[in-house]
Amino acid sequence: MSASGFGMEAVWRAVSSGSSGLKPLTLFQSPRYGQILTGEIQCDLIALGAPTRSSRSDKLGWLAAREAIAHAKINFQSGGERAGIVLGTSVGGSYDSEIFLSTLIKRGKMRARPTRFHECVTTVDLIADEFGLFGPSMALATACSSSALAIALAAEMILSGEADVMLTGGADSMSRMTWGGFHSLLLVDSAGCRPFDATRGGMSLGEGAAVLVLESEASAQRRGAKILARLSGWGASCDAYHATSPHPQGAGATAAMQSALRRAGLEPTAIDYVNAHGTGTRDNDVAEAIALKTVFHNRVPPFSSTKRIFGHALAASGAMEAVVCVEALRRQELPPNPGFSKCDPAIGLEPVIELRHAPLTHVMSNSFGFGGNNGVLIFSKPETSPQTRAPEKIQIAVGGIGVIGPGAVTIKEIGSPLPSGKGLVHSCGVLTDAAMLTPNQRRRLSRLQQMALITARQSHAPDPSQRVAVAIGTGLGCLEDAGTFIENLISKDEREPMPSRFPNSVHNSPTGQVAIDQAARGMNSAPTVGEITFESALWQGICQLATDEADCALVGAADEVDKYLLSIGQRWGAWNEKIKPGEGAVVVSLARAEKISSPLARVTIVRLGRYRKPFDAEREADWIASIIDLAAIDVVLSGAKGFLKLDAMYEAVAAALSKRAGRKLEHQTYKQQCGEFHAASAFGFSVAVNLVRQRRRGVLLYTLSQRGGKAICCVQP
Amino acid sequence: MQISTHELKSNIIESLKLQDITPEQIDDDAPLFGTGLGLDSIDALELVVMLEKDYGIVIKDIEEGRPAFRSVNTLAEFIAAKRPQ
Repeated sequence: MSASGFGMEAVWRAVSSGSSGLKPLTLFQSPRYGQILTGEIQCDLIALGAPTRSSRSDKLGWLAAREAIAHAKINFQSGGERAGIVLGTSVGGSYDSEIFLSTLIKRGKMRARPTRFHECVTTVDLIADEFGLFGPSMALATACSSSALAIALAAEMILSGEADVMLTGGADSMSRMTWGGFHSLLLVDSAGCRPFDATRGGMSLGEGAAVLVLESEASAQRRGAKILARLSGWGASCDAYHATSPHPQGAGATAAMQSALRRAGLEPTAIDYVNAHGTGTRDNDVAEAIALKTVFHNRVPPFSSTKRIFGHALAASGAMEAVVCVEALRRQELPPNPGFSKCDPAIGLEPVIELRHAPLTHVMSNSFGFGGNNGVLIFSKPETSPQTRAPEKIQIAVGGIGVIGPGAVTIKEIGSPLPSGKGLVHSCGVLTDAAMLTPNQRRRLSRLQQMALITARQSHAPDPSQRVAVAIGTGLGCLEDAGTFIENLISKDEREPMPSRFPNSVHNSPTGQVAIDQAARGMNSAPTVGEITFESALWQGICQLATDEADCALVGAADEVDKYLLSIGQRWGAWNEKIKPGEGAVVVSLARAEKISSPLARVTIVRLGRYRKPFDAEREADWIASIIDLAAIDVVLSGAKGFLKLDAMYEAVAAALSKRAGRKLEHQTYKQQCGEFHAASAFGFSVAVNLVRQRRRGVLLYTLSQRGGKAICCVQP
Repeated sequence: MQISTHELKSNIIESLKLQDITPEQIDDDAPLFGTGLGLDSIDALELVVMLEKDYGIVIKDIEEGRPAFRSVNTLAEFIAAKRPQ
């Protein structure tokens, strides 16, 4: 799904002719920048078949998923448990939520309905429900590298045996926030982006979605699938340098490309084409060119940026460009780089100018994002046989934990600016540990970023000799900064924007700051998966240890409350005497067990999936009993929260597990202490570690998300 | 038209939310970026917003503002030259 057309054929026509899909914006009123070119998809998405009850990003992702499934001639009627989905999304439902804010600010009316699909994960949940996927389902938000990281993670899930087939890619819609935000950073070229050109003046914003069907060799053979290409390598890194500017020498980009080559077992000379990130901003294109020259020892293969064709579709761009790479391999053609006419001496490289035939065996796709977040993929011809290693089965130990908020929480009464009045909140209050932050961190970082930074430091002392990966998830991100930024944008008609708030609006802004603070240059990710956000981060962090990409993984989850969350929740009756909104952050430092001399506990199992509706407790108990050793477990620690239907589901599974264990397993809960928020199961994890330390017996952390996701995590002495 | 550097420094402190710093502590000739205050490229963008809000000067390309952001004095001169009369 792109501004240059829908479907593989149309997209390739645009790519091969190098024609730009950029047009003036029509999606919403932009008093200040309305005439500037953008990669907007100008058509009725519902008429194309997208579900009405969904955000704009959901619709784009859903349509791309439908096409991918049809193209792969795959159905999940049987064996949906072995099929999952991982998408990169960053904007999520912002476009729709802004309609709510706009109506509230301009007309004083509170119409909360459009915010129902605000979360990034709704795209994944809608697709999984529609097409019958019951394997692991995750969304991750690392800004413009999101879908490259998502595709890499999907591959790891297949290699580690969690699934046979994964739908993967990304979706992001245009939004007032990203539109106003990139303009406030003066990063938009009013004439449309011209990647790598000497006269380039910035990026062009776009939107879109792309979904790939990734499957194991065995699965593809079993069903006689037509293999389009192989994913042979992937690499991720973090600049640990700045919130928005790339490392000037492209150090992180270099590391990610080298990591992808290593993973694929390829020499740089084997790469026949690079689809560059090439946004058209001065800084990106220079840094990327330096990185390319470093990786390829000054013999840079043919490369191009296709950003002028689609616009920069943020989290979706990595997946869209992955599709371009797959199609380039299939057709043995090099895609051109529209917008380029004059070589920039600061770059010293010329991209592919016109479509041309070339023998292509291995191609690389680069995606770099805010927070210095880098993801690189390598695709190869179907005839190749890449040596991708499965993650090792290793023992994982907890070296330290940092917790802010819930444990020591005071329930505070918070006044609401909206008509719905007041509410009681499990608030972290003033961050008493903020003294450990520098003045610049205090003035610029959001509360959520500060919480993540402090808990990361509590869990782990920075150690430059270690390779550190970071996966700290968040359900809703920096709500306050994102909300303030959009509120200001709408109420002042795009005048006096807040450029320092915009970078905080991406869900990976806390992890990016943790990376800078800890000099953590390994993979850096922010899963955003509703109630199972923490377990998803845990899975991803452990995977980095199991593939030996990191010595230490800082995993966790964080969420904050803001006035809109409180008011909307109140309007929907989400809060009551038993269920109170909460906030907080937990970060856990993990390493291979042999690396930690006196661990707090071990994490023996982390498994993700989706439950069937109607909920069947016996089936769930069978699933759990098939994975974990119930004899080692004394306590089932669940995310029950005082919501009758959900609590009954947890209770029934705990009872069914007791039956299978042949003794009573204690069912305990934690949300009565920390309140209700997406990251709460991270707090549950800290409770589990405490229980394990007291009793020297195992604890099963069991979490269900209201939209269908489920996770189990086994903590043992 | 001359502009008050004291007022300019107050505006800088306010727009960048600089903590525990008074206008008197900022040297008119000292570099604003790279040292001392620890400002970065995003602070430069906040200064762009400040120039529009407080002085009516619109900057569309950060390169345009770069020489002006060297110090308080260069910024004051830039404002004096560009300010709509």
